[in-house]
Amino acid sequence: MGKDADNTSKWQVAALATLGMILLLLPQLVSNGFALDIFIRILLFSFIGVAWNLMGGYAKQLSLGHVAYFGLGAYTSTIMQIDFNISPWIGMIAGGFVAMLASLPVGWLCFRLRGPYFTIATIATAQALMLIFLKFRDFAWGAEGTTIPNLGSSPLMMQFETKASYYYVVLGLLVLGLVITWRIERSWMGYYLVAIGEDEDAAEAIGVNAPRIKRHIYMISAFLTALAGTFYVQYIYFIDPATAFSFNISIEAALVSIVGGIGTLWGPVVGTVLLETTSALLQSWLGSSTGGIQLTVYSLILMAIILWRPTGLMGLFNDLWQRHLDRRPARMRTLP
Amino acid sequence: MLETVAQAVINGLLIGGIYALVSIGVTLIFGVVKIVNFAQGEFVMIGMYISYFLATYFGVDPLLSLLVSMPTLFLIGVLVQHFLIRRVLGPNDMPQIFLTFALSLLLLNLALLLFTANYRTVHTSYSDEALHFGGLYIPEAKLIAFVVAMALSGALWAFLHTTDLGKAMRAAAQNRDVATLMGINSNRVFCVAFGAALALAGAAGSLLMPFYSAYPFVGQVFVLMAFVAVVLGTLGNVLGALVASVMMGIAESLGIQFVGADSGLIVVFAMLLLTLAFKPQGLGGGRMR
Repeated sequence: MGKDADNTSKWQVAALATLGMILLLLPQLVSNGFALDIFIRILLFSFIGVAWNLMGGYAKQLSLGHVAYFGLGAYTSTIMQIDFNISPWIGMIAGGFVAMLASLPVGWLCFRLRGPYFTIATIATAQALMLIFLKFRDFAWGAEGTTIPNLGSSPLMMQFETKASYYYVVLGLLVLGLVITWRIERSWMGYYLVAIGEDEDAAEAIGVNAPRIKRHIYMISAFLTALAGTFYVQYIYFIDPATAFSFNISIEAALVSIVGGIGTLWGPVVGTVLLETTSALLQSWLGSSTGGIQLTVYSLILMAIILWRPTGLMGLFNDLWQRHLDRRPARMRTLP
Repeated sequence: MLETVAQAVINGLLIGGIYALVSIGVTLIFGVVKIVNFAQGEFVMIGMYISYFLATYFGVDPLLSLLVSMPTLFLIGVLVQHFLIRRVLGPNDMPQIFLTFALSLLLLNLALLLFTANYRTVHTSYSDEALHFGGLYIPEAKLIAFVVAMALSGALWAFLHTTDLGKAMRAAAQNRDVATLMGINSNRVFCVAFGAALALAGAAGSLLMPFYSAYPFVGQVFVLMAFVAVVLGTLGNVLGALVASVMMGIAESLGIQFVGADSGLIVVFAMLLLTLAFKPQGLGGGRMR
């Protein structure tokens, strides 16, 4: 038994190392801008999905308003950069803390509700934030938004000449998100989160301080989501309320996690690879002019997953792997 | 000043009737089937497009097309419940939330693909008519919509209280297990509840058509309003949803009158947040009435 477990973990380390090498070398091998753009999108939405999954996946607090923190992160760093000439690297961290602070009152309101009504309340708070940024043009440029001044190659201001550099930044973010998730998954907090996700009342009955745990995980999730917001507006050099608070980002954060496997470390990454690849293929076949096709396909995939594979693609892989192990001749399992 | 207030209240009251149809549907499904239908707004949109196409290609008055939109949506509701919702009923929230959410995304984006994002309107003989009382005026199309909406709500209430099926529904809403033990076929009851809720959404769509434009995203406006009204009126409470919807309509209309044309939604969100902060159980009791 022990040997088997050792072998599995050796395999995992080897697979992880290979994946890491491939991801590090990818921009050196692929110079096509369109392809790099897709890779960056995949990494970015994987990261947003990972941030969402911490709260939505493990604790099953299904938020559809995570774009609130994405937008707050984006606006914080942009305001700091344009009005005070502070580097977006600092702005990014500041945005994370702003999002963390904002998650406290939002959580205080929304956690009063459970299940679907929690979801609705999160949608409403994100929309309300967007309306605020639309209305107050004095400090945030109102509905027109603003372009972010292009300083050419300026790594200290998070501006790069090549797409490959952006790729490495967002790869770093994703690794950060995965490491945090991995640590939490294996800590007492991870078990509390899963207990809350399974049955909140039962978890409280055995002494889990559910409101406190939910508050903490919401803060971590909001912090990470805000980092993605800063990166995104730095990458596209533009910000307006419709972009920074787009409902589609909230949808995609939840979608990639559910399709990939809710409450699993790699689920959001797997889900993003499937959905973003599908979307890129659709775009190259049909052209980007056909509005609605991407989300039509996404919603069909989502429905199929929920009806036939509620554990997502990770669950499917696990089942297939298990079946493969069961099919192996018995002696291969018993002999070293 | 008083006249402006009165006019705003009348406008809000009239549109509140339409909100009521949508929120009664949401609360009925929540009460009986115990799920939140995120796609309710999209069924209002389907009702609007049915009336729009009937009016444009066959010259059918939108009010008359109620006779088509309501049965069609009832049937869609039964099918959705039987083939989709039934499969995810259980203690776990996640599949329920995301199944109806996926349905909403699907219908919205299919409408975008098929009908494009264009605004479509129907002009009827009574679209521009209004009744005048002193300085106040009441648009006829909205008045008709309000009266029909109230009649339909009343009919639903009567159905829930006087017929066996309606009583079975209320029984299933109060305690599903006991109702099943008493011999109530819960899937049949759920199908009828879902169908009735969607028929109300379809009716809302048809009633809106003489004075409102149809476009793929139109449902979002109404569903958001309905969600707030349903929380405010206590989940699963039909009468509460009705009263709260009319209140929401009036609050929105006053907001538009006195704060600014684009402040309608802000008023709605403010009401939702205030409700959550101070009255998370809603204004009424917990029972389905």
